Amino acid sequence: MAERIGVYVCHCGSNIAGIIDVEEVARWAGGNLQDVVVAKDYKFMCSSSGQQMIEEDIKNHQLTRVVVAACSPQLHERTFRRACKNAGLNPYLFQMANIREHISWVTTDKKAATEKAKSLVAAAVRRVRLHRPLEPLPVEVNPRTLVVGGGIAGIQAALELADAGYPVILLEREPSIGGHMAQFDKTFPTLDCSACILTPRMSEAGQHPNITLLTYSELEEVSGSVGHFKVKIRKRARYVREDRCTGCGICVEKCPTKVRDDVFEAGLGVRKSIYIPFAQAVPRIPVLDTEHCIYFTRGKCQICGKFCPTDAIDYDQKDQILEYEVGNIILATGWKMFDCTRIPQYGYGRLPNVFTAMEFERMCNAAGPTGGKIVLRDGKTEPRRVAIIHCVGSRDVNYNEYCSGICCMAALKYGHLVLEKTNAEVYSFYIDMRTNQKGYEEFYQRLLEEGMKFIRGKVAEVTNADRSEEEKGRLVVQVEDTLTGRQRRIPVDMVILMGALEPQEDAMDLARKVGISCSSAGWFTERHPKLDPVATMTDGVFVAGCCQGPKDIPASVAQGAAAAARVAGLISRRTVWIEPVVASIDESKCSGCRICNNLCPFNAIEYDEQEGVSRVITALCKGCGTCIAACPAKAIAGNHFADDQILAELEGALWDASPEALLATFGKKEEQLELKVLNV
Amino acid sequence: MVHAAIRGETSFLNEVIEETPHGERLLHCIQCGSCGGSCPNGPDMDYSPRAIFGMIQAGERERVLSANTQWMCVSCYYCTTRCPQQIPITDILYTLKRMSVRAGLAKGTDAPALAKSFVHYVDNYGRAFELGLATRFYLLNKPLAMVKMGPLGLKMLAHGRMSFLPTRIKNLKQLQAIIQKARELGEKS
Ligand SMILES: Cc1cc2nc3c(=O)[nH]c(=O)nc-3n(C[C@H](O)[C@H](O)[C@H](O)COP(=O)(O)OP(=O)(O)OC[C@H]3O[C@@H](n4cnc5c(N)ncnc54)[C@H](O)[C@@H]3O)c2cc1C
Ligand code: SF4
Ligand code: SF4
Ligand code: SF4
Ligand code: SF4
Repeated sequence: MAERIGVYVCHCGSNIAGIIDVEEVARWAGGNLQDVVVAKDYKFMCSSSGQQMIEEDIKNHQLTRVVVAACSPQLHERTFRRACKNAGLNPYLFQMANIREHISWVTTDKKAATEKAKSLVAAAVRRVRLHRPLEPLPVEVNPRTLVVGGGIAGIQAALELADAGYPVILLEREPSIGGHMAQFDKTFPTLDCSACILTPRMSEAGQHPNITLLTYSELEEVSGSVGHFKVKIRKRARYVREDRCTGCGICVEKCPTKVRDDVFEAGLGVRKSIYIPFAQAVPRIPVLDTEHCIYFTRGKCQICGKFCPTDAIDYDQKDQILEYEVGNIILATGWKMFDCTRIPQYGYGRLPNVFTAMEFERMCNAAGPTGGKIVLRDGKTEPRRVAIIHCVGSRDVNYNEYCSGICCMAALKYGHLVLEKTNAEVYSFYIDMRTNQKGYEEFYQRLLEEGMKFIRGKVAEVTNADRSEEEKGRLVVQVEDTLTGRQRRIPVDMVILMGALEPQEDAMDLARKVGISCSSAGWFTERHPKLDPVATMTDGVFVAGCCQGPKDIPASVAQGAAAAARVAGLISRRTVWIEPVVASIDESKCSGCRICNNLCPFNAIEYDEQEGVSRVITALCKGCGTCIAACPAKAIAGNHFADDQILAELEGALWDASPEALLATFGKKEEQLELKVLNV
Repeated sequence: MVHAAIRGETSFLNEVIEETPHGERLLHCIQCGSCGGSCPNGPDMDYSPRAIFGMIQAGERERVLSANTQWMCVSCYYCTTRCPQQIPITDILYTLKRMSVRAGLAKGTDAPALAKSFVHYVDNYGRAFELGLATRFYLLNKPLAMVKMGPLGLKMLAHGRMSFLPTRIKNLKQLQAIIQKARELGEKS
């Protein structure tokens, strides 16, 4: 029986119709393409009247297939499939031709655009003729969620879900949750004490009956898909038994070593080989760092073990691999600080009194290495003048093109702290002052009033090569003051570098593990930059906080809560329907060679020893097609991407290239067609 | 390739862009002042490169081409390596030197004359000849000042940093052919 196909060409306002002659494309398709019984163009196909038109046509013209030529299927495939379904047509008997992103947005040549649109419509029509009805596959949603990263964003997401009654695994790489916020002293713009607002959240997360806290742990492997991911987690050996440790800290006190703390104290302070990173750590269980431990490096010591009152030290502890099934995953892995030694003219690492922003955060913190005193590297001298350099590694195409967004505000915060805690003058060297959130501009005004000095210019260099008596023994900031057009040299005692926020070192790796993508800078890519900022292209994987891009604490918290709300929505549905675009193996053709078994990147193929054949586990298959191409017996077929469908699509797209394709596409001979074969 | 004319822009901006490889980066200048702050001659310039770029954008042809900025540049490329927008600053200053000579606005500077003397020796000997260069430059341009430079010249001769006679490089013909080709290309573009 011949199919009855409807073709609908969208104007998308002037987005498409401004370049492509949409009326001509519709008329041509209606007059020429085989089995097309209705062909129309319309201003906005995705509008409710556009959808209604399709629904009515399906009923009135007994359409058996539908093609819409419009935007990307990423945007509206679901819309039109729903319209088909509403009219009683299986939604997979629909095909979309992308004539906007693939044509009208990328050319100004109207003639060529119109002809290419015809080709794409011909391709879609030939393909849709071979579509087979499919049913989406139901998957039960496991109510447990994995949150990766225990900074403020991850803590927020975990608490929201746990409070809603759902189980959460909160996975953190460091010995304690808290993230960067735990390192800060004050938070802009309100200057509330960071620990005071953060630590209640941390302990709540640590004690919540619905939260399983896994610190000092890393995500090893992820398989499965939305509703039923399988995750493997490496719980690194702490050499301390969590069931016995009471967090008394005697082991730490007795340990005879001293190690520079590059993580929590940003290199400014020291810790022991067995340590709890900070007083309010959650959990309050030490970890033993084998790289510096005397027992592990030289075979003798074990002082911590001798003094532990509960016998919790276990020198033989091994890493553990834990496996869980979770329904959804939220990534909240945050940011890392730009390596300031990469800009040699700022002298970090060479000139002792040049500090990074994180070092300065620790310096201001009353619980930090200097007890909250702002002093030079010698640990005692108070600076007389402090320079704060903005945009270090940000807004610079040699390092990171983007603006880190929060460092202008952090610089103002530092200005306030210097003025409050010392008698020093403080200078900000900025290119543009970016203070665009609630209360931020007001904070800038406050600092103007407090007497912070502002010089508009990107610092050229920081040097200790003095040129005058005044500069002797000090650091000199050389800059063009762009408001006066003069080169200036300003002697100071301390320089603070506002380093860029960068993606975590392992962001790309993690993205690959869960099957999402990163921007070229390395931030996780959201599903839609405006309308879907916490979902990703992989169903069931969400992002929150700075791992998606630099942002402040309020925005990180908002995203954490938003991601949790999205997950809660999926959990409450209980069942999600996944695309039936999966592979299936024809057992009568399968020779049992097992080539496909190891090739499947999602471990979705199992081997039946008894029958001697391979089988696809539909719930794990992502329809990538690897096995289909590899099978030497051609025993594997892919739903919706079958060979015949793809070849027909190609022949349709290349209808003007061969007489056979011409005949197959149009069902008529060349001489009977009204064709203008083009030479574009 | 000629960068598409910027809509509504003065022809001056477009000329500078077209005459400089990667000149279109000029449009990315964020006026940060990294160039002016880095320049060893910054304090002696009428305007820092940053300010010059602002004036180019504003179409101030006369003011830019008669500035001393381009002539103060010693081609150290400090500014270019540090510019956060990868603007070929030093090369743009070369463009401005050429435009300024062509427009007859290179006043109050000896640099164009010195450059001409330099080119004369490279054309004829394949390399610079310091003694001749200085003599020729001063005789043609400021014979009186030559007397003042005498002692420095003698010291340089004594230390072997300058020689009495120009030496011709080997295969001068080949170099001349290369220069000839470069001139042809330069005129074409
Ligand atoms: C100098 C400076 C000062 C700032 N001051 C302020 C301020 O005053 N006010 C304000 O609003 N904002 C401030 N910010 C911004 C603030 O730091 C961020 O908004 C906030 O840290 C974002 O939280 P997060 O949870 O997304 O990331 P993070 O705080 O970075 O937390 C991420 C967590 O994930 C963990 N993690 C990373 N990778 C993995 C992995 N693979 N597996 C497991 N765990 C992982 C990390 O160990 C960390 O605990 C400042 C930023 C800077 C640079
Ligand atoms: S927020 Fe300010 S300091 Fe940070 S990169 Fe942007 S402009 Fe520079
Ligand atoms: S298409 Fe084949 S290789 Fe790809 S996920 Fe499915 S079973 Fe695995
Ligand atoms: S350094 Fe570059 S971006 Fe900054 S003012 Fe100079 S030319 Fe413009
Ligand atoms: S290249 Fe020229 S303009 Fe640039 S820093 Fe050096 S002397 Fe100054």
